[in-house]
Order: sequence, then structure tokens, then C-alpha cells
Amino acid sequence: MVSINYATREVTCKIVYYGPGLSGKTTNLQYIHDKVPAGTKGKMISLATEADRTLYFDFLPINIGKISGFAAKFQLYTVPGQVYYNATRKLVLRGADGLVFVADSQADKMDENIESLNNMRENLAEYGYDADEMPVVLQYNKRDLPNVLSVEEMESRLNPQGWKSFETEAVTGVGVFDSLKMIIKLVLDKARKSQSGAAQKKQPVSAPAETAGRPAGVEAREEPAPATPMMEPNPVREPAYDATTEDEMEDESPPAEDSGVEYSSLKDEESAEPAAAVDRVPDSEMAMETGPKEEIAEHKESWGQSRPYPGSTSRINRRGRRIKVSDFQSSPKISDVSEPDEATAQHEDNSEPVERQNLPSPTMAPSNRLVKQKRGFFKRLLGIK
Amino acid sequence: MSDDNLIIYEEEIEKIDLILARMLKGAEAKCALLVDKDGHLITRQGFTHSLDTTALAALLAGSFASTKEIARLVGESEFSVLFHQGKKDHIHMSLVGDRSILAVVFDDRTTIGMVRLYAKETAAELVKIFVALKSKVQTESPGLSDEFAATAGDKLDDIFQD
Repeated sequence: MVSINYATREVTCKIVYYGPGLSGKTTNLQYIHDKVPAGTKGKMISLATEADRTLYFDFLPINIGKISGFAAKFQLYTVPGQVYYNATRKLVLRGADGLVFVADSQADKMDENIESLNNMRENLAEYGYDADEMPVVLQYNKRDLPNVLSVEEMESRLNPQGWKSFETEAVTGVGVFDSLKMIIKLVLDKARKSQSGAAQKKQPVSAPAETAGRPAGVEAREEPAPATPMMEPNPVREPAYDATTEDEMEDESPPAEDSGVEYSSLKDEESAEPAAAVDRVPDSEMAMETGPKEEIAEHKESWGQSRPYPGSTSRINRRGRRIKVSDFQSSPKISDVSEPDEATAQHEDNSEPVERQNLPSPTMAPSNRLVKQKRGFFKRLLGIK
Repeated sequence: MSDDNLIIYEEEIEKIDLILARMLKGAEAKCALLVDKDGHLITRQGFTHSLDTTALAALLAGSFASTKEIARLVGESEFSVLFHQGKKDHIHMSLVGDRSILAVVFDDRTTIGMVRLYAKETAAELVKIFVALKSKVQTESPGLSDEFAATAGDKLDDIFQD
């Protein structure tokens, strides 16, 4: 099912690579992932066994950029090819817009190809799809191997429907992009046909008030930004959240009787920020374990050093908390802190915000000391003993 | 099949975003993702900057789909709520209507009970929006323009080069 989101201006299609085990579905995706420009692809996710066999699916999002004001995104999935993974294989087919059937050209694999093709039809039928009406592209893969069947023979046994077919070598990439381009074209054609079949005109004239999100005429309003990279799918969406919360806070603050509410909400945010800052750490660890290194580097840049999230105001909040009067009042150990240098060092160290929050109040000493020093300084300056 | 195309307008997304933002505030959760069962991200709210939401949406949908299959094997039609507990962050997933999943990421500042309560309320509100949306899409049935497919075809050659 093609997903059209007028708010984020995205059209998303799902393409599934199907075929028997070890026919080269994952290799197809890996080749695409390796060769496609960095801004076009997202992170490839592989749910595989320890022996590198696909367990559930591989997933590769591709963003081919803005077309008529809409970002065209394609989500490539593979299924697990092994016969006994049929339960999960069926799940991946859900909502597929197009299929690439990767057949193994080796002579002794023909039975597996046929079995897998029949299995594909059955699984599609369970979702109510008809394989003959869906966009399907056939790949005769592994053409570089010696014991392959001729294309004519494969066509006659696998392709009575006359689907478009390609000879491929997924390892070296021969034919991989050709088949991908073809399936994308077929999917878009099909989406267009089905839409124009349902609506007489592509642009409904009714409801002019909502035409802000209509496909045509959108280009004029689009900012001339380049194709958005997949790692941050729609950066424009985020400010909407901040804006609404800010609006709400502004609305709350002016009336005097609401001050209690306002205080608690502010306090909540303050206490929330440092905790969030600490939570960033496991995120980074997780990414390092799973993600490719180039992407970690991208992430690291955007994280910043002391801000838990890009654009966060937590720094300001922390500073605000530091000078709270209540922090100073309850401290029993004011006089104990005698080393000012250590205290200031701790003061500036913001790597562990929560821990610092729980300390009795080492923040007390430097401020006191500073005040005393200043007083002495002015006394000396003015000549008062 | 094309009747099932997921088409969402700005107007609905704004409504959904408001509802999600209110839920996040009430439940004190970190972020919320609304995901189609096919793995498409519908919208998101909260602190999602550091998350790869595209992949997350696909995986959440996959996780939900496999759980549904497990449910079927033990004689249930569907598990409508799913909860993943981590050391610090947890994910609460619940079904919204018949084709969307609401995933809420939260930590120990709040409780699973609060999240569940708010998620349940939110799901009920979202279902109303989706029902209204469905009838709207049926009456208007807009879609991809002709030039979309044509332009895409030209662009593909630039991107997919060996």
C-alpha cells in the first residue's frame, strides 16, 4: 500500500525481495546499500541469525528525493528464504507494493524456485492480493556460476505471466539496479493508475480550504532544500512539537492564579532535562554496537557535548538550577568545603548532572567564597580595614 | 488493494500531533511514534531527534506482526498491548484501530500504569480521527499525479548508477 502523507510530504512504497534460501536477496540489498549515494539511503537493518541467514527481514530505506514537492521513499525488505521460516516470511509481505523475485539460476535449484514462487502466491493470497495484478520483477540471479540453466528455460518454467525479467549477479551488482529501477517504475505506474481510476482528476476541486496539502502546486511553497537524507527523515516536523509546548507555557504563565501550575510544570522540565542527558549515554553505546561507524560519526556530531538533544535548552536550565536559593538553604556542609579549586572543578564538570544534583551542596562553597573574595577586594580597594 | 492506500492530510496529522503531545505531557513519556502496521511512520512526537524513526517504525511493525502470529498460535486473535522493558527506557505498544500502532517510549520518571492509561485514552481518540479520515479519503480519493511517476523515472537513472 502506497502511503501518502500530506503533512510530511512523503510518498512511501514498500518493495519486497522474495525468493528461495540463498538465492541472493540480502546480497541485492547489500549491493544497493553499498552503491547508492549516502544522502539517499538510510541505515540497513538485518535481522539475521548468527550464521548470517536472514531470520526475519532485512530493511533498507531509500529516499530518491523530491518529486512534485513530495519526497519519494522506498522501503526495501527481504524475506527469509528458508522453507521453515514461512510464518515470518508471510508477515513481511503485508502491505507490499511491489515484489522482486530473486531466482537462483543453478540447474539444481529450479525446484526450490518453483516452490518459493508458489509459496509467494499463496502468501499473497492470504492477504487478499493477486500476484498477477501486482508489480513483479523477476531476477535470474547467479548468472556467473557455471551450471546455470538458460534464460529461455527459466522463462518458460518461472515466467508464464510475462513479468519483466533480468539476468543478474547480485555479488557484482550486474542487473541489480536495472531490476530495482524497473520495480520502482512499475510500482509508481500502478499507484498512478489505481488513483486515476478512482478519481477522475488528479486534483479534486472540492474542499479548497484543505488544499494546502494537495500534490500539484506544492512546488512553489517548498523550500529549495535538497533531498532530505534518511537519517533525519523530516526535520521540519520537530519544531511543531516545541512550538506547541511553548505556546502552552506562554498561555499558562500570565494569570497570577496559575502560578502554582506553571511552577510545577517548569520544575518538571528542569528535573527532566538532566535525566534525559544521562539517558543519552546508552543510546550512543547501542548505536556503536549495531550501527556502521560512519553513521555513528554523523550522530555524534549532532548530539553535541552537553545538550541531550539538538536544540535543547537544558544548559540554560542547569545554570538556572545551580543558583536556586533553595539549593543553598538546606545545605548542612557549607563550612566543610574548604578547597575552592576542587569545588569549582566539580562545579564545572557537567558530565554527571544527576549525581551532582544529589550531592549535599558542593555548589555552596564557591559562590560563598566568591562573595567573600569580592568583599575583601572592594574593602581593600576603598581602603576600609 | 489500492483502496487500502494510507493517505493522510495535514489537518489530521495536526490533530494527531496535538493528541500525542498532550499524552506525552500527561504520561511524562519521552516520545511517541504512530506507525502503520505495514511499517510506515505516520507521525511522531517528543524527543525523537536521536532516533532513526524510519527503521524504528519498520521494526516496531515487525515486532507487532510477529507477536500477532504468536497470539494466533496460542489461540488469541491478537495481543493488543505489547511492552518491552529495558534498563532505563521502555516501550509500550498498543493497537490503534485495526491498522496502526502507537508506540510510547518512556523511562523511570513515569510508570507503565500511567503510560498504559494515557495510551488507552489516546488510542480511542485516534480511532475517531482515522474513521473520519477513511470516509474523507473515499470521497476525495486524491493520489499521485501523472508527472510524479514520470519524474521519478528520470531521477532513478541519476541515483542508481553502478
